[in-house]
Amino acid sequence: MRKLLLSTTIAATLAALPAVADTLRVGVATAQTGALAYADVPVSVGMHLAVDEINAAGGIGGKVTIELIEKDVRSDAAQTSIATQELVDQGVSVIVLPCDSDPALAAIGVISSAQIPAISTCASSPTLPMIGGEYMFSNFPGDNVQATVSAQWAWDQGHRSAYIIYSPDTQYTTMPLYFAEVFEKLGGAMAGQATNTIGQQDFSAIATTVAALDPQPDVIMTSAYEPDFPSMIKALRAAGVTGQIIGSDGIDSPTTFSLGDVAEGLVFTTAGHPTPGSSLETFNTAYEAARGESPETVFSAVGYDLIKVLEAAVLAVDGSTEPTALRDAIANLENVQGATSLITYKGTDGMPVRQVSLIRVKDGDRELLGQPSPDAALIPAPRMQ
Amino acid sequence: MDLFLQQTVNAFALGGTYALLALGLAVVFSIMGLINFAHGELMTISGYVLMYCGLAGLPFAISVALAISAAVVAAVLMERIAFRPVRNASGATMLVTSFAVAMILQVLFQNLISARSQAVLLPQFLSDSIRFGGLIIGINKIGAIVTTVVMLIFLDWFMKHQKAGIAMRASAEDFSVARLMGIRANTVIAGAFALSGLLAGVAAVLWVSQRASVDPLMGFTPVLKAFIAAILGGLGSLRGAVAGGFLLGAIEIYLAAFLPQELQEFRDPIGLCLVVIVLLFRPNGLIPSAALKAEKV
Repeated sequence: MRKLLLSTTIAATLAALPAVADTLRVGVATAQTGALAYADVPVSVGMHLAVDEINAAGGIGGKVTIELIEKDVRSDAAQTSIATQELVDQGVSVIVLPCDSDPALAAIGVISSAQIPAISTCASSPTLPMIGGEYMFSNFPGDNVQATVSAQWAWDQGHRSAYIIYSPDTQYTTMPLYFAEVFEKLGGAMAGQATNTIGQQDFSAIATTVAALDPQPDVIMTSAYEPDFPSMIKALRAAGVTGQIIGSDGIDSPTTFSLGDVAEGLVFTTAGHPTPGSSLETFNTAYEAARGESPETVFSAVGYDLIKVLEAAVLAVDGSTEPTALRDAIANLENVQGATSLITYKGTDGMPVRQVSLIRVKDGDRELLGQPSPDAALIPAPRMQ
Repeated sequence: MDLFLQQTVNAFALGGTYALLALGLAVVFSIMGLINFAHGELMTISGYVLMYCGLAGLPFAISVALAISAAVVAAVLMERIAFRPVRNASGATMLVTSFAVAMILQVLFQNLISARSQAVLLPQFLSDSIRFGGLIIGINKIGAIVTTVVMLIFLDWFMKHQKAGIAMRASAEDFSVARLMGIRANTVIAGAFALSGLLAGVAAVLWVSQRASVDPLMGFTPVLKAFIAAILGGLGSLRGAVAGGFLLGAIEIYLAAFLPQELQEFRDPIGLCLVVIVLLFRPNGLIPSAALKAEKV
């Protein structure tokens, strides 16, 4: 009996160890290869920068160092679920999931039953935390918020009719539906809509249809991203469409700025802009110092943000790494200073309140149009696909 | 009417690109019985060469020549390294080999170049368009149509009047007999791969000039389209591949243009249903290969 008592005590002590350990073990199940690698690879770089910075300073609050345990999920939903389970078995305190709602959703069952908080690197669909439950968090301005910002801008510019091109393939590519909702709420008229599939190469049929509209729509809004977007905008312009084209964060990429004349005047929403003296400028400088090149995309800064959120959460619970405590801490975070903006989870269902930057392509470079806070009454409710 | 004509021009431009892609698959299949799913990666290689040439500031004409040559060299190397050792293995083995080659190349691109799309700098005139009566035609559309026509004429001449081409046709018809006539198997097969590389390179330039970027997984969609077009036309038949390519292009464009909005979401399934319907009536494809001795029960 004493033996049993002893071993139980030891086991209990061991089980309780992670809670008092001085290491925050972060399970990273993201897409290092495959279709989502375009976002998750730069996110990983940003996360590592933040981790190195924090650990070099002695850890979170000078005592809790961060350890990343990484697994490649190959942009595959099933693999995400498997990798998440493996990470849970290794006793991590928090899990990082891929940049798209669909594979992130595949891990919900695992994280909910293990009661470990999970943050998607950059999934922007507001439905993710809604479906994901209390342990699922996002780390990007929501699609509905981005669409509100761009629709409001279009309306303020005097645009009164809009055409949307969206894809029902993923949550993210349905952002134009939010745009249409807000634009109509503001009093604008929808001139029509077209759907595309992700990976569609040829947009000439859609472009010809839009060009044949009389009158031409003032605005064409899409959340298509590379490689579809360049092909789409080239087709639209070649077909003679002259209206304002509005995109979203997926096209915040060097390709967009190298398209030349066709992309001039293009406007899109994204997670941040390095204004002089901003935190993003500081991040970009640090990135260049560490990597010898400037970041290709804002996603690296978003990865940095994610670690800063975890840091703030650990600080809020006095250095504990106990998963449920961390979950509650994340859910109550307010105004965490990330690289891109201030981040607030308090009062949300897990979709953070973050700044949205509105960028215009001018002379092949980015021009900041503003970082407006949208009217809360205008933001559409999350739409289930 | 103008709208219909305009969409028809679109259909020709897209169909032409599909035809070139399907031909690339058909040339190899007709001789080896291999569907080379790594064909798309040849295009990716061309795309990356275009990207690096653009960064180096080379004139576009030279970049294009280098990009196409790269695909030819890569295709020949692919045959020598990956496919020659399994040449006499079953069709399934060769198919799996081609998938393996495709995946290995994709991962190499992701790790050695970048997981992200890389911008390809293209001359400005490719984005322009000209008015032609009531029609507006993009320069890259005209380029696609003209290139397709030139390539088809070249291929026809090559297959009919060149010794290597005639040898390929003979091998496609009956490889054993062709070898008994003194045709060297290695030369014919390497030639077929070189030709498919040429077609992949040309198609890649057209493809990339439309999308202005190249990424590691770029080859998947075109090879899938080429596969559908090749089946639709008649696997192993070169004329069939061309017919299949143009028909697939027309189906896609007309559906995108004229299907009612409520049904647009189902455009791809409807398009594939049309392909299936064609195959129900012509199970061996539009223009079946003469050498295809398929037995249907």
